Amino acid sequence: MSVTDQVLAALLVYGLPVLFGVILICSVGFPFPISLMLVAAGSFVEQGEMKLWEVIAVASVAAVLGDQIGYGLSRWGGRRLINRISRKLGAETNIQQAEALTKRWSGAGIFLSRWLVTAFGPWVNVASGIAAYPWRRFLLWDVLGEVLWVILYVGIGYTFSNRVQTIAEILGNLSWVIVGLIVTVILGWKLMRIFAPEATT
Amino acid sequence: MKNLGWRQWLVVLAFVLVVCVTGLFAVRTVRRAIYWHYHQDEPIRPWMSLGYIAHSYSVPPWVLHQALGLPPRAGKPDRRPIREIAREQHRSVDQVIAILKDAIVHSRPPYPPPPDAPPDEGSPRGQPPAFTPGQTRGPIPPQQTPEPTQEPMRGRSP
Repeated sequence: MSVTDQVLAALLVYGLPVLFGVILICSVGFPFPISLMLVAAGSFVEQGEMKLWEVIAVASVAAVLGDQIGYGLSRWGGRRLINRISRKLGAETNIQQAEALTKRWSGAGIFLSRWLVTAFGPWVNVASGIAAYPWRRFLLWDVLGEVLWVILYVGIGYTFSNRVQTIAEILGNLSWVIVGLIVTVILGWKLMRIFAPEATT
Repeated sequence: MKNLGWRQWLVVLAFVLVVCVTGLFAVRTVRRAIYWHYHQDEPIRPWMSLGYIAHSYSVPPWVLHQALGLPPRAGKPDRRPIREIAREQHRSVDQVIAILKDAIVHSRPPYPPPPDAPPDEGSPRGQPPAFTPGQTRGPIPPQQTPEPTQEPMRGRSP
C-alpha cells in the first residue's frame, strides 16, 4: 500500500488531526500529493463524514502555519548562512539585487504559489525568508492564497465527491503542466534573448 | 548562426527538457480526462471506505456490508478503510476488492436494483446474505441473467 493510500486511510479514521498534521508538514516542504487529500476531505464533507467549516478552518490554519515555519527558518537561519557565504564570495551586490527583485515581485509569486502552482510553495517560502520579504505582507498574501487553495480544492472534492481519486490525479497532472508552461515561458524568453540579433546602437 | 557558449547550450537543453516533460504531463492529463469520460467508475483503492465506495458506485452501502459478511448498520456506513476490513477478515485487499466489485456488478442493470435499506430476512434476490471468507460469486450464466430494467434506479448512500 502506497504512502498516499496510508495517509488517506488515516484521514478517514482519524479525520481533522491527520488533515492538520499532513498539510502542516507538506507546507514546510515535505513532498506529498496533498491536493488529493483536500479533494478527499471535500468528498467526506459531501458525504456528511466531516464538517465544511472545520475542514476549511483546520486546513487553512495548517497551511499558513507550515508556510510561516518555512519562512521563519529561512529568514533567521538561512539569512545568516547566505550573509556569511556572500561575504566570503564577495557577491553581496548580486544578493542585494536578487533580494530587491524578490521584494518587488514576491507578492504575486506568494499568492499564485499558494493555489495555482503549489509545487513552488515551499520554495517561495524559503526565497521570501532569505530575501527578508516583509513578514506582514508575506502573511497577508499567504493567508489569501491558502484560503483560496483550500476552498478551491475542497469545493472540487465536494462537487466531484464520487470521483476523488480520478479528479485528484487530473489536478495533480494539470498543476505540473502549469508549472511546466511557466518554466517553458521563462526559458523561451531567455532563448529569444540569446538568439536575438545584436542591437545596433 | 551564433556560436553558443556552454551556458547558452544549457538553456537550450533545459528548454527542450521542460517542453518534453510538460508535454508528457499534458498527455497524461488528457488521457486521464478521456478515461474519466468513458469509464465513470474509478478504481477501488485500499484507502477507500465502504461508504465512499458505495457513494462512488451509487449502490446502497448495505449491499457492500452484506457482501463482506459485516453486520448491517442502521446509521452511517462503516468508516474504516477496506484494508482494515481485509486485515480483520484475514483476506488480502485484492480479495476484498474482488468481492466488492462482484457485489456492485450484481446491484446494477441488468440486475434489479437493490432496495435502499437491507431486507429484514434473507436477500431480495434469493442470494445468500453474506459471503463466506475466501469465496466470491462466479459469473452468472447468460440464461440466468434477468431482463434489463427500463431505467436504472441506483440507490444512493444516505
